[in-house]
Amino acid sequence: MNWILVWRRLRRDRWTMAAIATLAGVVAVSLVGGAIATRVLGHGGDKPFPYATIGDGPVQKPVGIWSHVPDTAQVRLDEYSQMLPPAKGTKTTLFVLGGDGTLGRDEFIRLLDGGRTSIEVGIGGVLFALLVALPVGAAAGYFGGLLDAAVGRFTDTVMAFPMLLFLVFATAKLSPYLAGVGYSWIVPRGVFSDALLIGVFTCFYPMRLFRAQLMTLRHAEFVEAAQMIGASDWRILRRELASHLVPTMLVWGAIAVATNMLLEVSLSFIGVGVQPSTPTWGSMLAVAWGSIYAPRSANPTIWLTLCPTAALVVTVLALNQLSEGFRRALEPRH
Amino acid sequence: MSHFTAFLGRRLAGALLTFLTLIAVTFVVYWSIPATPAGFLYPFAAHLTNYQLQHGNHLLGLDRPKLDQYGDYLWHLLHGDFGGSWRGGQIVDNDHLLLAPIGPQLFAATRESLSIILGGALLVLVLALPLGAFAGRRIGSAADRLISTATLVGICTHPMVLGLILATTLGVEQSGVIDNGYCPLRRGPKDTCGGLGPWTSHLILPWITFALLFLALYVRMVRASVADTLHEDYVRTARAKGAGELRVMRHHVLPSAGLRVLTMVGMEVGTALGVCIYIEAAFGFQGLGRLAVTVMGGAADQIDLPFTLAVVTIITVIVLVGNLVVDVLYAVLDPRAARETSRGRDKPLVGGVF
Repeated sequence: MNWILVWRRLRRDRWTMAAIATLAGVVAVSLVGGAIATRVLGHGGDKPFPYATIGDGPVQKPVGIWSHVPDTAQVRLDEYSQMLPPAKGTKTTLFVLGGDGTLGRDEFIRLLDGGRTSIEVGIGGVLFALLVALPVGAAAGYFGGLLDAAVGRFTDTVMAFPMLLFLVFATAKLSPYLAGVGYSWIVPRGVFSDALLIGVFTCFYPMRLFRAQLMTLRHAEFVEAAQMIGASDWRILRRELASHLVPTMLVWGAIAVATNMLLEVSLSFIGVGVQPSTPTWGSMLAVAWGSIYAPRSANPTIWLTLCPTAALVVTVLALNQLSEGFRRALEPRH
Repeated sequence: MSHFTAFLGRRLAGALLTFLTLIAVTFVVYWSIPATPAGFLYPFAAHLTNYQLQHGNHLLGLDRPKLDQYGDYLWHLLHGDFGGSWRGGQIVDNDHLLLAPIGPQLFAATRESLSIILGGALLVLVLALPLGAFAGRRIGSAADRLISTATLVGICTHPMVLGLILATTLGVEQSGVIDNGYCPLRRGPKDTCGGLGPWTSHLILPWITFALLFLALYVRMVRASVADTLHEDYVRTARAKGAGELRVMRHHVLPSAGLRVLTMVGMEVGTALGVCIYIEAAFGFQGLGRLAVTVMGGAADQIDLPFTLAVVTIITVIVLVGNLVVDVLYAVLDPRAARETSRGRDKPLVGGVF
């Protein structure tokens, strides 16, 4: 594979370059945006602000965009448990995109932090899927025989069934055991289990792709030449064939990251994804609208739907275009 | 025709084998998860005594040999008996059980889901064929790009969000015209509404949601197929004989695109069932997807085995029937297909995994 040529073809593709720039922007903002915004605005995304809501009782609504909210976690109540205005002299703090619901957390900072976790789930899912699909698919395609027949039949059958349902089932049963895995703010709790389960349940399609790819290459002349000079199967797979799987991996991977991010939204809406306290674009939507089991606590403002959805749509569209661009740059004949 | 019979026989045998395997897998998964099913029968007991455990298992039939349970289930299924739900089971006279039958609830849910899927699939076809044909004739143009991008936005938005947006902006809460919830075609004694008109008005938004979600995939497929076929010899021949553009499209180009779309529809029944969870939740339906999530996905450690089996059975049957119908249709329309053993399933687009 001539990577310089591929890069030149990519450079000529305006839409793909725009997609790459968009993705770079999204990743950069997700990585550092939350921390910067926290420093500039003076509050974090997890801190609840009880005064960031309008009205009280059942008609509570989060504050709208660009609101100055009393900077206190203390609620003053009168003798009938009605909320009183905050004490005189309380400083205010800025909520750029308003509050996120009855808890009154900052939607803007959660959006930035949520981008990071969403992307982590997306990429993590792809890595876990590769971990399963690559060895199994490659072995089936290269060695053929019974293993190949079994893998082919199995993936065909499994892919006819509603994967989403199995994923929901497995996540509901298994995520309690995996939920504790996390590493500080880098991998929040629940992200690992989401990525693992999404990866395991989406590995069938790439498995098929790798298998099909190696089936056509198995009898190629350069493979036979390598066999003739006595190279072992492992060496042939590693040195001769692995690089031929990279284009497939790139084209599929870009799409899969996008799909995984949407699957994360699916899991959050069922209420089996990450903890609702961990911001992801999916859990933010689920907090705003309520999951399938738990009804929503407050009527969502339009921003609570629009912001995570817009972020998702832009990212997913860009990833889709990236995959398309990869396909065109790597296999120019198609 | 013998080719065809053999083909049909092979497919049927394969479907039956898949079905039996899936039921067996469900049993095995259930047996390997630690659970105390007797807890269903003594819901108020904090701790079950040894007697209660054994008596409960005996009444539920779980103390029999495992192969016996499997065979027994299949035997009942063959008679159309889905058994009773363990949840809310009551012990009568200390020696037999009173269980709520699963069948009625299951069929009601299936009816709702199939209404969404079939109507939605029809809408997808009606929209995708002209849009795809239009884009396929001018690949690379601004109109083509616009169609591709606009349909992609539908798939990039999550179906639940799409549904909720439609339900709250156009649904009953706002306009009072389009209601939430399902409305059966024939009004039963317990239904609050019924008839063709209400059925359609209740389903129109779910159909639109469904169509928006799947449109991108099918428009793209029709577009590619049309672009391929336009340069075929027989299309040129048709033009040379003086056929008008519309006739060329309708009689020579679109049929082959339609065949591909048809295959995809049958293959994607499973995907559609998964997506139904969200469409049903957004519009307040009590369909199969939601039922499956409630039965199988609840965070509780107790699993209602008969209900889970029933849901797995019905989903398997729908998926297998969908695939089978498409296989047969395909073999009838394109006899070459009957000789192939398997076809590729291509999922080149975002959301294909749903």
